[in-house]
Amino acid sequence: MGNHTYELLLALGVLSPFVSFWLLVFFGPRLGKPLAGWVGVVLGMGVPLALSSYVLVNWLGEVESGQAAALTASALRFQWAMIGPIAIDIGVKLDSLTVAMYFMVTFIAFWIFVFSVGYMSGHSDEVAGKSKYHRFFAYLSLFAFSMLGLVVSSNLLFLFIFWELVGLCSYLLIGFYFHQRVPQYAQMKAFITNRVGDFGFLIGLMLVYFQLGTLDLDEAAVVFAQQYATQTGIFASTFTMFGWSLATIMGVGLFCGAMGKSAQFPLHVWLPDAMAGPTPVSALIHAATMVAAGVYLVARVFRLMTPEALMFVAVIGCLTLALMALVAMVQTDIKKCLAYSTLSQLGYMIFGLGCGAWIAALFHLITHAFFKAMMFLGSGQVIEGCHHEQDMRKMGGLIRKMPFTGITFLIGVLAISGFGIAGLEIGGIKFGLGGFFSKDEILAVAYTRSFEWEEGDFSKHQEQGDGHGGHGAIDRSDENDRIRLASFGQQESSNLEVLASGTQADHGHAVEHGAENPHSTNEKHSGHGTAANAGIFANTPKLPKWMFWLAIITAYITPFYMMRCWWMTFMGKPRDEHVHEHAHEVPLMYVPLVVLAVGTFVASYFLFRPLIADASHVGSSAAMVMAIDGTAHTEAVHHAHVWLQYGVGGSFVVGFLVAIAIYGRGLALADRLKRVAGPIHTLLERKYYIDEIYDLVWVKGCVALAYVARFFDTYVVDLIFNSLASVTERLAAFSGLIIDNQGVDGVVNGVAATSLDIGDRIRRPQTGRIRNYVLITAGIAAAVIIGFLIWGPDVGGVPIAVAGL
Amino acid sequence: MLTIGLTHYLIVAAVLFCTGLFTMITKRNAIGILIGVELVLNSANVNLVAFDRYLGSERMDGQIVALFAIVLAAAEAALAVGICINVYKNLATIDVDSASQLQG
Repeated sequence: MGNHTYELLLALGVLSPFVSFWLLVFFGPRLGKPLAGWVGVVLGMGVPLALSSYVLVNWLGEVESGQAAALTASALRFQWAMIGPIAIDIGVKLDSLTVAMYFMVTFIAFWIFVFSVGYMSGHSDEVAGKSKYHRFFAYLSLFAFSMLGLVVSSNLLFLFIFWELVGLCSYLLIGFYFHQRVPQYAQMKAFITNRVGDFGFLIGLMLVYFQLGTLDLDEAAVVFAQQYATQTGIFASTFTMFGWSLATIMGVGLFCGAMGKSAQFPLHVWLPDAMAGPTPVSALIHAATMVAAGVYLVARVFRLMTPEALMFVAVIGCLTLALMALVAMVQTDIKKCLAYSTLSQLGYMIFGLGCGAWIAALFHLITHAFFKAMMFLGSGQVIEGCHHEQDMRKMGGLIRKMPFTGITFLIGVLAISGFGIAGLEIGGIKFGLGGFFSKDEILAVAYTRSFEWEEGDFSKHQEQGDGHGGHGAIDRSDENDRIRLASFGQQESSNLEVLASGTQADHGHAVEHGAENPHSTNEKHSGHGTAANAGIFANTPKLPKWMFWLAIITAYITPFYMMRCWWMTFMGKPRDEHVHEHAHEVPLMYVPLVVLAVGTFVASYFLFRPLIADASHVGSSAAMVMAIDGTAHTEAVHHAHVWLQYGVGGSFVVGFLVAIAIYGRGLALADRLKRVAGPIHTLLERKYYIDEIYDLVWVKGCVALAYVARFFDTYVVDLIFNSLASVTERLAAFSGLIIDNQGVDGVVNGVAATSLDIGDRIRRPQTGRIRNYVLITAGIAAAVIIGFLIWGPDVGGVPIAVAGL
Repeated sequence: MLTIGLTHYLIVAAVLFCTGLFTMITKRNAIGILIGVELVLNSANVNLVAFDRYLGSERMDGQIVALFAIVLAAAEAALAVGICINVYKNLATIDVDSASQLQG
C-alpha cells in the first residue's frame, strides 16, 4: 500500500470512536441498555480494531520488504497553524511503534469493551435515579478516540492535547459512580496529581518550542542533534538548575508529564485510588493503555534526552519498581494488589528507558498491557461473581466456581513473573511468556550498564564499529548500520546491539514538507548525526549498582505477590461461605479473558519485539538504544552473564514457592508473619505514609497557608484598606461640607443673590404710573440739557448756554 | 417800542411746553394727559415755525415740518384715544394710576 493509505486508515480509526461518542451522547438514552453498549463496541472499537489489524498485517509486509522507512519519512502532514515563524502540523506519526501501539490499544480495548457490556449488565447503572448506561460507553469511546489520537500524533502539541483528553476521560470514568464519596475523591486525586506532572510536561514543551523551534517529534530530534553538534541553541545556554543544563531540564520536564500519567514515584499516589472506578476502566485505562502513555511519551521524546535526563528517568523508574512491589506484597484488596503490581511494572518500563533499553521497555509495555488487562478483567469477573467483594481474605477456592477466570488469571501471573525455561526450545519457539523476554532484557541491559559499562563506551564502540571490527567482537552490518557488540565472549551470537542509526543516510527520516528542500535537510541531518551521538553519549555514566540490585530483587518479589494474589483468590478453602456460594461466571465476561490470554501468548513471541526493534532503527537517530534481543537469538540474560541467566530465570520459581509456602494453608502463617514483621508491615500497608505525608505537606500546608493568608488579610490588608477608607471619608467630608457647600455653592448662591438684589433695586422705579415715568423722563431730559449747557462744548470761549443768551 | 422777535415766540413756546409737561405729570385722567401731550407738540410747532421765520431760508422747511407734526399729532391722538377706550373697557376707568399692571 502506498499513497498515505496507512495514515488515512489510522486517522479513520481515530475518528470512528469520536463519532461513536457523539452518537452515544445524543442518542444513547434512546438506544437503551444493551444497544448503546454494542454501538460503543462496534463503532467505538470494532472499526478501529479492524482497521488496525489490516494496517498491522500490511505493515509487517512493508517492514519485510524494507519499505517502512520510506513510508515513515513521507508520512502525511498538514499545516494546522502558524505561530510566528513556527508551523504547527497535524499529521500521523507512522512507524512501527505507532502501528504496534495502535494495534495493542485497539485489540485490548475492543475486548474490554465487550467485557464492559457484560460487566454493566450486572452493575447498577443508575446515578441519582437516571440510567447512565449510555454515558459509560460514551466515555469509553471518547477515551478510545483520545488514546488513539495520542498514539498517532506526530506533533508534541497534539500529543499534549490528546494527553490531556485521556486524563479527562480517566477523571470521568474513575468518578463514574459520582454519587459515592470514594470515587469522587479518587477522580479529583487522579486529576490533580496529573496536573503536577503536566506542569513539568508544559515546561518541557515550551523549552522544545522556544529552543528547538519546532514541535514536530522528528524535526525536534534533528534540530536537537544539530544544536549539539554546533553547540548552539539549547546547548549554548549556560543556565543550570539543580546542576542540570537547559537541555537536561527539557528532558526531565517532558519526563515529569510521564511521571504523572504513568504514575511514577512520587506521583504514583493516584493510581491505586483510581481503582475506585468500574473494573473495565481499571483494566483499560489504569493498567493497559493510558498509564502506558507516559512510557510511550518518553519513548517518543527519547531523542531529546541527555544522559543526565536519562539517569533521572532511570532513578525514578528504579525507585518506583522496587517500592511499589513491596507495597503490593501486603495488599488485601485484589484490585489494589494489581494496581501496585502495575505501578511496579511501569517502573520497570521507565527504568528500562532510563537505561537505554528502548526496545525492551516498549516490548514490556505491550506484553504487560495484554496480561495486565486480562488480570484486571479477571479480577472484575471475580468481584462481579462474588457479590462486589474485593477483599481477598474473604475469597479462596474460587477456581472450581470460575475455571476460565482462574486459569487465565494464572496465565497472567506466569507472564508477569517471567515464566519460562532458559534454553528450552520447542519447535524453534523458546519456552517462555511475555515477561520472560521483555523484563529479562531490561535486566540484562541494566546489568550491562551497571557492570560492563565504562564512561565513553558509546563513542568507543561506535568508532570501533566504523572501523569494521578492529576489536573482532564488533561487527557492523552494512545493511542497517547497527553497531553490534558482543562483549561477553560470544562473538558469533552478537547479542548486545548499540543502535545508532543517526549515521544512516538512507534511513534519514527528516520530515520534509512545505518548501523545504528534502535533500539538504537529509544531508544536514545525517552529517551531524554521528557527531551528535558520539558527543552527547560519550560521557554516559555507569549505572549505580544499587539500581540493578533493586531491579533484580524486585524480579523475585513480583512472582511472590502475584502468586499470593492468585492463591488467596482461587486456591485453598473458601473463607467466606456467602461469597463462595454466590460466585459464578458470565460468558460475555470470560470470553474476552480467554482471547486476551491467547493474545498474551502471541504478544510474547513473534509479533511485537521485531516490530519495535524496527521502530528503533528509524526512531533513534540521536539516542542511545541498547538492545539484547532475547527472542531473536537466545535468552537475553544468558549472554549478559551466566549467573544472571539462572538468577533471573529462576526468580519466578523462588517467588512462587515462597508464596505457596506462606499462603498454601490459609492465612494463619501469613498472620503470624505479619505480627513478626510488625512495624515494617504497617509501613507497607500504609504505603510508606505517602498519602499522609502529602496530606500533611500539601493539604494541611495549603490550609495553613490559607490561615496565614487570612491573618495577613485581616490584620494587614484590611487595616491598610480600612485606614484608607477612613482617610477618604474624612477627605470627602471636608470637600463636601467645606469646599463644596461653602466654597462652590457660596459662589453660585452669591451670584444668584446678587442678581436678585440688583433686580429688586432696579424694579423699584418701575412703578407702573405713567406720570412718574413722564416726570422722570422730563427730569432727566432737563438735567441732560442743563448739563450740556453748562459742561458742553464751548462756543467762542464761553459755554453754549451763555453764548445762546 | 416793543419789537416782537424770536425770543418772544420762544418764551410762548416754553410756557406752552411747561404747561403741557405739568399737565402730563399732574393729571391722572388719560384724556388730560393727552391734552398735555398736544400742548407739548404745539409748543414744538411754534418753535419750528418761529425758527424758520427768523433764521430759516426761503424754502420754509420749518413750517413744512410743523405741518407734518400736526398731521402726526392727529394720528397720535387717534391712537391715544383708542388706547384710552381700551383701557376703559378693561378697567372701567381711565385713571392712569389704576393702569399699573406693567409695574416691575
